[in-house]
Amino acid sequence: MNRINAPKTHKTGAISFISPEKISLNDSTPLYWMPDVSNETARIDIYFDAGLRKGKNSIASMTSSMLLSGTSQKSSTEIHSRLDDLGAFFDIGLSHEGVMVSLFALKNNISEAYQVLLDAILNACFPESEFQEVKAEKIQNFKININRVAVLAQRSFQKQLYFGTEYASISEESDLQKIERRELLDFHKSNYVCGIFKVAIVGALQENQIQHISDLSKAHCIKKPLEFKSDFCNKAGVIHIEKKDAVQTAIRIGKTLFNKNHKDFLDVSILNTILGDYFGSRLMKNIREDKGYTYGIGSIISESGGSGYLMIGSEVGKEHLQPTLKEIEKEMLLLRNEKIGKAELGLVKNHLLGQMLKNSDGPYAMMDLFLSVESYGLSCDFYNSYIQRIHDIDASTILQTANMHLKWSDMSVISAG
Amino acid sequence: MIEFERYTLKNGLKVLLHHDKTTPMAVVNTLYDVGARDEHEDKTGFAHLFEHLMFGGSIHIQDFDQELQRAGGESNAFTSNDLTNYYEIIPANNIETALWLESDRMLSLAFTEKSLEVQRSVVIEEFKQRYLNQPYGDVWLELRPLAYEKHPYQWATIGKDIAHIEKAVMEDVKAFFKKFYCPSNAILCVSGNFDADSIKGLIEKYYETIPGGIKPARILPIEPPQTEFREKSIDRDVSANAFYYAFQMSERKNIGYYLGDFLSDAIGKDQSSLLNIALKKEQGLVSEINAFITGSLDHGLFLISGKLSEGVDFDALDNALWEQIEKIKKEGFTDRKLTSLKNKLSTAKAFQEQGLLNKSISLCMFELLGDANGINEEIDIYNRIQNDDILGFASSILKKENCSLLKINKTK
Repeated sequence: MNRINAPKTHKTGAISFISPEKISLNDSTPLYWMPDVSNETARIDIYFDAGLRKGKNSIASMTSSMLLSGTSQKSSTEIHSRLDDLGAFFDIGLSHEGVMVSLFALKNNISEAYQVLLDAILNACFPESEFQEVKAEKIQNFKININRVAVLAQRSFQKQLYFGTEYASISEESDLQKIERRELLDFHKSNYVCGIFKVAIVGALQENQIQHISDLSKAHCIKKPLEFKSDFCNKAGVIHIEKKDAVQTAIRIGKTLFNKNHKDFLDVSILNTILGDYFGSRLMKNIREDKGYTYGIGSIISESGGSGYLMIGSEVGKEHLQPTLKEIEKEMLLLRNEKIGKAELGLVKNHLLGQMLKNSDGPYAMMDLFLSVESYGLSCDFYNSYIQRIHDIDASTILQTANMHLKWSDMSVISAG
Repeated sequence: MIEFERYTLKNGLKVLLHHDKTTPMAVVNTLYDVGARDEHEDKTGFAHLFEHLMFGGSIHIQDFDQELQRAGGESNAFTSNDLTNYYEIIPANNIETALWLESDRMLSLAFTEKSLEVQRSVVIEEFKQRYLNQPYGDVWLELRPLAYEKHPYQWATIGKDIAHIEKAVMEDVKAFFKKFYCPSNAILCVSGNFDADSIKGLIEKYYETIPGGIKPARILPIEPPQTEFREKSIDRDVSANAFYYAFQMSERKNIGYYLGDFLSDAIGKDQSSLLNIALKKEQGLVSEINAFITGSLDHGLFLISGKLSEGVDFDALDNALWEQIEKIKKEGFTDRKLTSLKNKLSTAKAFQEQGLLNKSISLCMFELLGDANGINEEIDIYNRIQNDDILGFASSILKKENCSLLKINKTK
């Protein structure tokens, strides 16, 4: 048989993007529901306007860690045991723009679990003993993490990326030491009690369950739409943080970009894939698969509220730092000077279309796609434009985009190790 | 319930088919019955290094990843002490590309010097990134030889020492491939929205001509039952003292695996677990405490690990921990606690079964244990667990003479 020639490949079929149903909790707060789930699972995400931007990092972070630490009626152990009885799991995520609490359970239990969870969050009273316990734990974790080169580089990168704004302030150990319980109570009162700005439900729930969830949430929503800061500009330049016992050096390189509303977003996103966002990317091929300097290297574009950024990250053998930086610079220059070849561009297009298909597989994936455009006031049409753009984009556009956005001299270049 | 069909090709390759029409994707998962436990003690880390080389081109195909990406697919792999697993996730209409690629590297690799040289260096960086350049990163490199005296579980999949990887030569690579990477030593699971009428023909086309080879016999040193408490204390440049209590337990096929998994959830999985409440919340001795099992196919370990609170010494923790262990052995858990653990397992299982890749890997793993249908039986096994089973298990395992303790002393 012929094993040399690849089998014929087929084009990725059309995807019909499904938006969730929308129910308004008030003028500024939507509840989204994706009911078409063919199994028993369900998920509810609640978003609170209580992110890092709302105050000191250390206070926002500690408050989010203590949301289930007890109310005047129920201890932390009682709350957790009740969620256990219902077979529920939860997860809390904190970013600059908000706090997302996700609840996972079987659909028949989820509205009851939601009631337990929401009651615990809204009435959290931060008992002194729990407060001291979490504070000690945070301080210990800080001391452990501050020895990781990746953490050192990331902290420095964040300072350069958000230079001159409140987003650039990062907790130090002394901030954690100084926190008082009273500050958490104040932060909670101002940012959680009427802080819900979005609820998202996936699962084949009954209508009355949705009504119940909606009734529980209504009184605790924000009163006017959120606004996010958008005028960031990173401080370009090279910073090295020496850590003499490290055997590897962490690298973070990047610059301020924009969010999904910008006209260049799709083009930059495709350019980023070519540079470093898949296994066959330029950076992986060169720095891992040709030179063997690292276990992994990648680049991402990420959004933060009104803005966004590009970041390249890797951990390389200490002796490989300078050659790696040189190669990254070279790869950026190459994208700016030479048009991408037909074969590579074709491959990247197919890869992106395959990823799009995978990322839209099932109701959970569809909801996540929706949520990641909804935050920017966009609809699922965004993905139809994206697919169209993948088909249409040509080598000249990639070259122009690289010239616009991949200048080495614009980058904040951080290394720690 | 996960439906599947199972058959064996003439060359010994076991095939599992799981048809899922709700997804536009397909997964091709290949499990090879070889892991770090099959390595020679002077050439450790080899099964894992070899996994990297599997992406360095095969006999007819120069660039594995490029061909896969061109068909919209992606791929990855992992190695454990027990097995090596490879998968491709691809739009279902391009499933043939994944079968073409995966079967060609089962037939033979390209064995290029360049690939060996680069991947040696990539794996050395992985060793540094995961084990050497992280606080507590080398714990398993220390704990394994303490807990296992004879069995090859005494080394980690990354290897005992970077030097073993540095010394790997092409001759080793070829011999390893010849011995372990043959159809009779593999399980293939194809899942997703494939065309049910043509899938068997495609599998036959790509796989049936590969010589079957001989499934290597596995004769490993047996770990003798532990009869004495072992303890090791090491100094590290970290900012909290840490402890790892490792108890010997049964192999994966034994009911003890399920009891161990269940008990570890009960005492140390989350904030409402017994040790978290007693030692963290009530007594303030630890800043974190966890219990888990390794789930190894041969005899596994049951672990209790954590970090001491500032100012607490190891002895205080040790006394309090053994007190809790004695209490577990005497009382076990309330019906409410047992029921809530079972409810959480049911939720977790329902979420896991949504993922095509998860299902494919699990089917192969259960088949390796003897029957892929185990995937549909495990929840009943958990649901049948009674307090008496837990008491019996705890009494037989959680004993001082069955324990190896590793302490990390902070030097900061």
